[in-house]
Amino acid sequence: MGLNIHTNHRMLFFIPAISYLVLVYLCAVWPAMVEMEAMEAVPKPFEDELPAIGRKLYGSYNCVTCHTQQIRGDERKATDVDGVRTTPVLTADARFGRELATRAEEYAWQDPVFMGTQRTGPDLSSTGRRLPAVQWHYWHLYNPQAVSPGSLMPPHRFLFTTTPPPPDEEFDYEEVLVIEGLGVKSDRLWATPDAKALVEYLLSLKREHLEQGRLAK
Amino acid sequence: MKIPVGIPVFVAAAGTNPNFAKMVSRWLISAGVWLLFASVVGLLEAFRLVDPEILADYAWLTFGRMRPVHTMTMLFGWASMALVGLAFYVVAKSTLAPMHEPMKKAELFLANLAMVLCNVGVAVGAVAMAMGDVNAGREYREWPWYAMAPVFVAVGICGLLFYRMVARRAVEGIYISCWFVMAACFWMAIVVVMGYQTFWTAGIPDRIVDGFYIHNAVGMWFTPLCVGMTYYALPKLLNKPIYSYALGVLGFFTHLVFYTVIGTHHYIFTPLPMILQTTAVICSVAMIVPVWASTGNFLMTMKGEGLAISHSYSLPFLFVGVVGYGLASVQGSAEALRFVQEVLHFTHYTVGHAHFAMYVFVTFLIWGCIYGLVPRMTGREPPILLVSIHFWLALAGIAVYVIGLSVGGHVQGESWLEGEPMMESVRVSAPYMVWRAVGGLLMVVSHIFFFVCLWRMRPGAFTMAYAGAGK
Ligand code: HEC
Ligand code: HEM
Ligand code: HEM
Repeated sequence: MGLNIHTNHRMLFFIPAISYLVLVYLCAVWPAMVEMEAMEAVPKPFEDELPAIGRKLYGSYNCVTCHTQQIRGDERKATDVDGVRTTPVLTADARFGRELATRAEEYAWQDPVFMGTQRTGPDLSSTGRRLPAVQWHYWHLYNPQAVSPGSLMPPHRFLFTTTPPPPDEEFDYEEVLVIEGLGVKSDRLWATPDAKALVEYLLSLKREHLEQGRLAK
Repeated sequence: MKIPVGIPVFVAAAGTNPNFAKMVSRWLISAGVWLLFASVVGLLEAFRLVDPEILADYAWLTFGRMRPVHTMTMLFGWASMALVGLAFYVVAKSTLAPMHEPMKKAELFLANLAMVLCNVGVAVGAVAMAMGDVNAGREYREWPWYAMAPVFVAVGICGLLFYRMVARRAVEGIYISCWFVMAACFWMAIVVVMGYQTFWTAGIPDRIVDGFYIHNAVGMWFTPLCVGMTYYALPKLLNKPIYSYALGVLGFFTHLVFYTVIGTHHYIFTPLPMILQTTAVICSVAMIVPVWASTGNFLMTMKGEGLAISHSYSLPFLFVGVVGYGLASVQGSAEALRFVQEVLHFTHYTVGHAHFAMYVFVTFLIWGCIYGLVPRMTGREPPILLVSIHFWLALAGIAVYVIGLSVGGHVQGESWLEGEPMMESVRVSAPYMVWRAVGGLLMVVSHIFFFVCLWRMRPGAFTMAYAGAGK
C-alpha cells in the first residue's frame, strides 16, 4: 500500500484527522484557554437570585435570537485616555452604547454568553438604564404593539394571568397596571413569578460596573 | 454537444441488495419527513415576522423556541440525514463494492440503528426545545445534550462503517468522494465534542468556541459531504470523468486548512482576540481557493453538456447547486470583510446568506443527487412532471426569499448607520419580511412535490424482482 494517501486508507484517515485536531487546538482550544486565564482574573460578579432566574428564562424563551448584548467597537482605532483603553464605537451601534464598546470583562463568568448574532430587535446590553420602569416592561412583554406600534416582537401573554393569585403566593406575583390598548380581556392583570424574574433580569442589564464615574452620561 | 447515453435506471439498479436499498431509503425518507416538518415551522416563523400575533398564546410555540426547532431540524433532520443516506450509496459505488452485498448483515443493522438514533435525536431535540430546554445563545447546538447524544453516536457509527467500506474497496485508489465522506464524519464528531463540552469555558472563551462551532458545523460537515456527493453524482450522470482529479485534491486540503480557522468571522468588532479576527477575515477570503477548486471543477465537467442538462431531471438541480456553492461562498467571503460587517452584520442579510448557502447549495445538491442516484438503486423513477414543478417552485421561491432579504438587510443596515430610531429599521425592512413569507410559501409547496417524488422512488416490488439479476 505504501504511505500514499491515494491508495492507503489509514493515511487518508489519519492525515486529515490529525491536521484537524492540531488546527482546532490552535484556533479554538488554545486561545480559549489563554482567554480563560484572563477572565479568571476578573472577580466573579455577585448575582441576585431573581435576575439569575430571569437570565435562565431569557435563555429558555430564547430572546437571544432577536436581541444582541454587545456594542461593537473598532479595536484597531483604540486609544489610551487617562490610562484607560478606549475603543471607538461603530456608527451603527452608537445609539445603544454611545460611551463604550463592550469589553471582555463585561462577559466574565457568563455562561452562556448572550452576545447574539442578530438584531431583529434592539440591543439590550443597557436596557435597565434606558428603560428603568418595571411596568413598561410588563406592558411590553404582554403586548409589544401596545407600547411600540409596529413592533415585530412576539407577545409573551403566557407570562401573565388574569386569575388572581392564591393569597399565600401573592407575594410572588405583581399586579400590572392595565392601560388602554393592552388588549386585556379582564380589568386586572398579574405578572407571574416568571415575568417578574425576567423583568428583574432586564433591569439588571445596566453595564453599571463599568461606569465608575469616568463615563460621560 | 452530445446527450450521454446512460443505461436505463432499472438496469443500473439490477442486482442491488434490497435490504441495502431499503436502508438508504429509510435515511432519505426520514430526511424528507423532517424537511416537511421544519419547512412548516420555518413558514410559521416567516409569517410571524410579518404579524407577530400568529399563534402567540402558547409558550411552547413562541418564536424564540420555534426558531431553533426550524434550524436544528433542517440541519440535522433534513440535510444531515439525507447526506448520510446518500453517502452509503456513493461510498459503496465508488469503492466498487459488490452491489448484491455492499455491506455485511451486521453493518446493515448498525446503519439502520444509526438511522433510528438520528430520528430519535431530532424528535427529542424538537420536543425538548419546545418545552423550554434550549441551549440558548449557542447557535446550531440549541438542542440539550441528551438530544445530541444519539446523533453523535450515529455519526460515530456511520464514520466507522464508511471507513470499513473504504478499507475493503475493490480498487486500489480511493475516490475523492470517499475522502470527503470519511473526513467529514471525523470532523463532525470533533465539532460536536467541542460544541457540547462547555464546562471549561465562560465569557469570551465561550464565544471563541461558539464561532468555531458555527462555521465548522456548516464547513466541516455539510459542505464536504455535499462536495463529496457531487464528485460522484456529476460524472456519473454526465457519463464522463471529472474534469480534474488534482483540483479535487487541492480543494480537499485547502478546505481543511482554511475552513477550520474562520469561525471568528461571526465575532468581528467584538472583544475576541484580534489575531483570531484577522485570521478569520484573511482565511475567509482565502476560502475562494477550495470553493473554486470544486466549483470550477464541476463547471468544467458540465461544460458543453447544456443539452444533457436540459434533458435531465436531476442535472438541473446539480447545476443550480454547484453555482449556488460558488456564489454563496463568494458572498460569504465578502461578508467577512470588516467594512461589510460594519453594515450587514446583525441584519436580515445574514439570514439571506444562510439560506442561499443551505438551500441553493446544500438542499439543491441533495435533491440533484437523490433524483440522479436513487432511481439507479431502486429502479423506480419519479414522475417527471412533478420533478419539474418541484424544481421551478423551489427556485422561484428561494430567489424571492434571498433577493428580498438581501435588499431588506441592506435597508436595515443603512437605517442603523443613519442613526435613525430602532423602530424605523423595523419599519423600513417590514416589506421584505413579506417577500420572505411569499418565497417561503413557494418553497414549502415545492417540498410537498419533492416528498411525493421521493416516495415514488422508494424500493418496492420492482427492486426485489430485479435484485437477483446481477448475482
Ligand atoms: C422576533 C424577534 C424578537 C424576540 C424573539 C424577542 N424580541 Fe424583544 N424586541 C423585538 C423588537 C423588533 C423590538 C423593538 C420594538 C419594540 O420595542 O417592541 C424589541 C424590543 C424589546 C425591548 C425594548 C428594548 C429597547 O431598548 O427599546 C425589550 C426590553 C425586549 N424586546 C425584551 C425581549 C425579551 C425579554 C424577549 C424574550 C422573552 C424578547 N425581547 C424576544 C424583537 C424580539
Ligand atoms: C421552507 C422554507 C423555509 C422557510 C420559510 C424558512 C424560514 C426561516 C426563518 C423565518 C428563519 C428565521 C430568521 C430570523 O430569525 O430572522 C430561518 C432561519 C434559518 N433557516 Fe430557514 N427557512 C426555510 C428553509 C430552510 C432550509 C431548507 C434550511 C437548511 C437546510 C434552513 C436553514 C435555516 C438556518 C440555518 C437559519 C438560521 C439563519 C441565521 O441564523 O442567520 N431554512 N428560516
Ligand atoms: C467560503 C465560504 C464562506 C464564508 C467565507 C462565509 C462567511 C460567513 C460570514 C462572515 C457569516 C456571518 C455573517 C454575519 O453574521 O454578519 C456567515 C454566516 C453564515 N453562513 Fe457562511 N460563509 C461561507 C460559506 C457558507 C456555506 C457553504 C454555508 C452552508 C453550508 C454557510 C452557512 C452560513 C450560515 C448558516 C450562517 C449564519 C450564521 C449565523 O447567523 O450565526 N456559509 N458566513
